[in-house]
This record gives sequence, C-alpha cells and structure tokens, in this order.
Amino acid sequence: MLPVGFFDRAKAVFGLQKDTPASDSDAAARAERSDGRKNKPGRPPLPEVSGAASATIEDVLTARAAGSLDEARAILAAIDKGQGLRTVLRAAAALQAGDEDDVTKLLPLVQKDSPAWQLRLQVAAALEKGPERDALVRRAVKLGAPAWSIAWLRALSSDEEERRAGLVDLLFEDAALARTVAARDLAIADIKVDNEAVRRYAAFAHGRDVIRRFGVAHVVALLGRVDERSA
Amino acid sequence: MSRPLLSLYRLDRDKLQELSNKLRELLARDDRAAISALLGLGEELARRLAAERWAVGLMLRPDEDPQASPIFASMRRVAKRAALEHVWTSESPALEGRLRAYDVLRDEPDIADAIDRLLDPVRLPWFLQRPGGTGGWLGDDQRETLAKRLDGLGPALPDEVNAFVEALGGMEGDALVHDRL
Repeated sequence: MLPVGFFDRAKAVFGLQKDTPASDSDAAARAERSDGRKNKPGRPPLPEVSGAASATIEDVLTARAAGSLDEARAILAAIDKGQGLRTVLRAAAALQAGDEDDVTKLLPLVQKDSPAWQLRLQVAAALEKGPERDALVRRAVKLGAPAWSIAWLRALSSDEEERRAGLVDLLFEDAALARTVAARDLAIADIKVDNEAVRRYAAFAHGRDVIRRFGVAHVVALLGRVDERSA
Repeated sequence: MSRPLLSLYRLDRDKLQELSNKLRELLARDDRAAISALLGLGEELARRLAAERWAVGLMLRPDEDPQASPIFASMRRVAKRAALEHVWTSESPALEGRLRAYDVLRDEPDIADAIDRLLDPVRLPWFLQRPGGTGGWLGDDQRETLAKRLDGLGPALPDEVNAFVEALGGMEGDALVHDRL
C-alpha cells in the first residue's frame, strides 16, 4: 500500500515503514552484528527480539519508556541500516549503556551523517533554551545550517519574543515552511499547512520529536563525542 | 473567470529590499502602529491588525482569508508604489502558456531556463507571491540577454510572444513579471 497520511510520509522519509521487507544483505549484516555481540567475551548478549526486522523506532521508544533499555538496544541493532536516525539512536543508547565497543564502532557512521547540521538542530530543538542549546546552534551554523533552519529553531523557542522573531525570520526565508510550522508547531489559528512544505517539515520535526522522547541528554553526549573525534 | 494577463514591470531591487527589511523589522518588533502606517492601512484594518496576538500571525494566513486579504492587497500596493514601474501588459491570455510550453522556446535550454526564472514566484518576496499566480524577475543582464535571444527567433514565434519580446527588449533595468499585482 502506498503511504498516504502525514505519519506515513514522515516514516517514508526516514525509511521507517513497518511493512518494508528487509533485504537479504540487511538480514545478513544484522546476523553478523548480532553474532559479534554474542561472541564478545565477558559481556552478556543483548536480548533476542522476535520480529525485530519489522520493528520500528516507535517500538524502541516504547521499550525505553517501559524501562527495557537492553531490549530497546536490541531492536535498534536489528533495524539499524548504518545511517540516519536509527544509527544515531543506537550509538546514543550504546553510550548510555557504557558499551564503548559499540560506541567506537558507530561513531564514524554518526560523524558522516548528512547534512551534519540537521542532527545538531534537531537536538537543539528538543532542548530548552540555554547554553547547551546555543552551543549546538553555533555548531550547526558552522556546519552550514541554512537560515531557514535557524529561523525555525528560534520559532520553537520557549521565549515568546524569540519565538515571534523566529517566525518572522522564517516567513521571510521560507514562507511555505513558516505557515506549516505556525499551524503544526505553534497551533496559531486560521493558518493552513502548506502541502509543498510538509515533507521538509516532517523530515526535521520527526527527528526532533523522536530525540526528545528517546532522551535528548544521551544524544547531546553522543554529539560531544562526535565533535571530540572531529577536533 | 478570465485568465489573468502577464504584466511587465521595471524592478528597483534596492527599494524592494528596503521595504522588505523594514517590514521584517517591524514584524519582529510587533510594532503594529508602524506596520499600519507603512502599509497605509485605514482605521478598520489597523484595528484588525491590533486585535491579533502577533501581527505576523495575520501575515501567515492564506491569501483568500477575509481578515488578511485586504492587508495583503495593501502590501502589494505599497510594494508596487515603492519598487515597481509598470512597463507593459500583454493583450493575450495565451502568453504564459506560450512562454512555458512553445516548442521553439523549450528547444533552447538557455532561453527556457531564463523564462522559467522569470515565471518562478518562489524567487519573489512572500508578499508578492499569490496562490496560483505567476511572477518572477530577472536582473538587467539576464533580461537583455533573453530579449536578444528571443528577438533572434522572431519569425518563428507567435505574435503574443513577439509583443512580449519587444517590451522586454525596450525597457531598461531589472524586469519583474506578474499576473496579479
């Protein structure tokens, strides 16, 4: 079935469709990774997860919310394709668990995630106003974050004046996205979502929302490690 | 409903940028009295703007929104007065279709690209964009080059396109095309 709804499209953007069959090579790679983990001396294996190939990030978040951090890691290991948000979360979960072997293996993949500014801004958008958020924004700007993305972030600020100024900037940088953010994120009355901008909105907002639910502190810590590695 | 006609304007980019910057600054400060003055809003529209939570909220509404529509019209009027000088209006509703699809034009990539830029509303400030409308601009050099290239194709082009070429080549400066200003 073709994805038709907003969340279907958001999932499609991130390759998160529940019914997407895993390729043989993906399955083989997962099996290999899983075997490697099982064979690591002195470390208990992550729990086996039935039906992991059809699992989603939502399952990861549900497991974490229930306190099953190992199960969440196992799902991430099973669904990770070596790039994008799943890899970021997998690495952040490994860091949280103190699994340095996994962190070391995954850091280069997170480091080459593209565009590099996007993850910083998604994390910043999941944070409250403060020095940690400001530092991520500065780093994103250095990495080439476009003006509209910074304006969007400001439009989501908890500070009312900054939110208004950000919305104005966004209107002048990308009016279609400004309407969509105003309708979706700020729930301003009588504004219509712009269909052309919804895809871009979904790509950014989905990552932000997932990171927030996952636990933004762990992703912040992961980005610290990435930046140390880049320095 | 009749199809809109394309009009050609001489664009003063500096003036348009100045207006855009001013509007942006006032919206960021949410200075509604100054916005009303800048846009020349009457008492009723100024009251409407003052009643909003934020002035920018009204600017984000759809073009056809009854509360916002007259304010958008005022913005376009102010922008026209400040930065646009009317040069020519086509008599033919077929002009846009010819420019976008006539095979003689489409077979020339540089011409097709310049025409597409001239008809691409995404390149206009948000307050000059209208849903379903056509508009765009070209800098002086690009305008002149396009006019010369089109002039060379003259005999192969329909009358409405040749009339456009004559107007485009006969003006000076940056060119803005719009069908609903």
